[in-house]
Amino acid sequence: MKAAYVKNSVGGRIFDLFNVVTLVLLAFVMLYPFWNQLIISFNVGIDTSRGGLYFWPREFTLDNYVYMFNKGGLGKGALISVLRVVVGTVTTLFCSGLLAYITTVRWYSGRRFTRFVFLITMYFSGGLVPTYLLMNQLNLVETFTIYWLPGLFSAYYMLLISSYMYNLPDALSESARMDGCGELRIYVQIIAPLCLPVFAAVAVFSAVGHWNSWFDVMLYNSSGNWDTLQVYLRKILLDIEQISKLMNDQQQMEEMRKLTPVSIRASTTILVTLPIVAAYPFMQKYFIGGITIGAVKE
Amino acid sequence: MEQQVENRIKLQKERGSRLSRIGKRLKREKELWAINIFALGWVFVFAYMPMYGIIYSFFDYFPGKSLSESKFVGLKYYQEFFSLPDVWLIIRNTLVISTLGLTIGFVAPIILALLINEIRSRSFKKIIQTITYLPHFVSWIVVASLIFTMFGSEGVVNDVLIRLGILDEPFQLLGRGEYFWALLTSANLWKGIGWSSIIYIAAIAGVDQELYQAGAVDGLGRFGMAWHITLPGIRPTVLLLFILGIGTLLNAGFEQQLLLGTPTTREYHEVIDTYVYRYGIQLGRYSFATAVGLMSSILGLALVLITNKISKKMTGMSIV
Repeated sequence: MKAAYVKNSVGGRIFDLFNVVTLVLLAFVMLYPFWNQLIISFNVGIDTSRGGLYFWPREFTLDNYVYMFNKGGLGKGALISVLRVVVGTVTTLFCSGLLAYITTVRWYSGRRFTRFVFLITMYFSGGLVPTYLLMNQLNLVETFTIYWLPGLFSAYYMLLISSYMYNLPDALSESARMDGCGELRIYVQIIAPLCLPVFAAVAVFSAVGHWNSWFDVMLYNSSGNWDTLQVYLRKILLDIEQISKLMNDQQQMEEMRKLTPVSIRASTTILVTLPIVAAYPFMQKYFIGGITIGAVKE
Repeated sequence: MEQQVENRIKLQKERGSRLSRIGKRLKREKELWAINIFALGWVFVFAYMPMYGIIYSFFDYFPGKSLSESKFVGLKYYQEFFSLPDVWLIIRNTLVISTLGLTIGFVAPIILALLINEIRSRSFKKIIQTITYLPHFVSWIVVASLIFTMFGSEGVVNDVLIRLGILDEPFQLLGRGEYFWALLTSANLWKGIGWSSIIYIAAIAGVDQELYQAGAVDGLGRFGMAWHITLPGIRPTVLLLFILGIGTLLNAGFEQQLLLGTPTTREYHEVIDTYVYRYGIQLGRYSFATAVGLMSSILGLALVLITNKISKKMTGMSIV
């Protein structure tokens, strides 16, 4: 836009060149680590450790993936991850949306109080240890429930969704109410369909959060029965037991001799990253939409 | 006499009608309350019970024992924290890491936004934005894995540097305390620079276009425009984010340290939050860690509230 107002001087052209080079370099720095993992994941492990692998696989193989699926339990991890994303996102969307809905019914006497009670949780919490002890007392550790129940309602999502609901005309819900329509039905059939953009934004926030979270998995699921993909990757990365188990397998089985921790790590990393990259074009749109909604305060 | 009786009757009537009004109201709102009670029950259990759990920090609490069986110790654990030799190390690390984030990590996205703003080709702009936002969406575990692979002794960085003759043997970046702050700050920057630049790009787009026209009339070049128009134009946004950034001074990150830190880097990576985790969960010192966590979160809350007040005064904007 500005180009219309300014003639480009020689200095300006030099700057343009410098700018483009800088940004291309930056883009390279952002992308190359992913590409590097990708080619390592498709290259024979012991060949990778010879070095010199920069832009293309040298000895193509799928063994790194095959091993992780057969031996590493990656399939199960992926299943639990997907389940967590779906259950966690659907429940938090429905419940936080419902909460947003009841706090936007203008004549409802409990709405200010409820909003206040939830807003406090945004600024203060009991902290890590009391929460951990509570989850133990509630017997939620070592269950799948721990992945979605503590995140069922979110004050932040409530704010995002309700700021959108405020702009809907009251007449919509009031006329349904006059016809004897129940609140839950008004929410599901009338209000929610009109809030699709904000629901999409929140769904993306929530889904990415669930997919990427690992600390609560580690904290509450030490037995490993409900390990998600992220935690599999973490174990390969940091857990010495897990790494030595891999190494043992590798030495015992003829067909695994060519694997290395680096190549196995690469295939797992790619599998963990792939869904994010695949959904990325869709996400980008709604994420930015979510930010701008969040910026508007009543 | 008559007057009093009349008044009393009136009062009773009023009270009765108020009760019936409340009754009517509740009847009308019964579905909303039913939903609400579910929500309030949830928030009570999952948000307010942990707040109540803060009380553990005043007792010698062990799991399996009830609070009444535990010994009340008052502020013992609060005092203990300050008598430990680690305390200054942890506070130093927390402050150093977040200050690095608030300086380098704060300026870099602004520069990126300015550079992106100077791109003329719309599609190139879009591509750069898309690529730089990407790392924001991947987990810290993935980032850690990328770093391990890239900078490991067999990694591509060492490989290239050795081939170019810059290094004789692989450089060990990981597990070396003296490089930890640089590593962490770079990792934070890599993951967050694009994402943080969004808000500045939006602010730049909001600068009045007529100002640029006027600038052109006054003979400003592109640098002049950037310096005299764009930067002052986004000044309120910059100020707001900086002040709010000070509010999060005690949050120096958590996942990053847990994943990139090793026992050998502890002297440099341990921050308040990881300390609470290590003592509270891993070592089972529940009461002590609760006390440390509470002190940190109260101080943090105070910082957020103060900085919000300042921000409201200076920029007219705040988030609280």
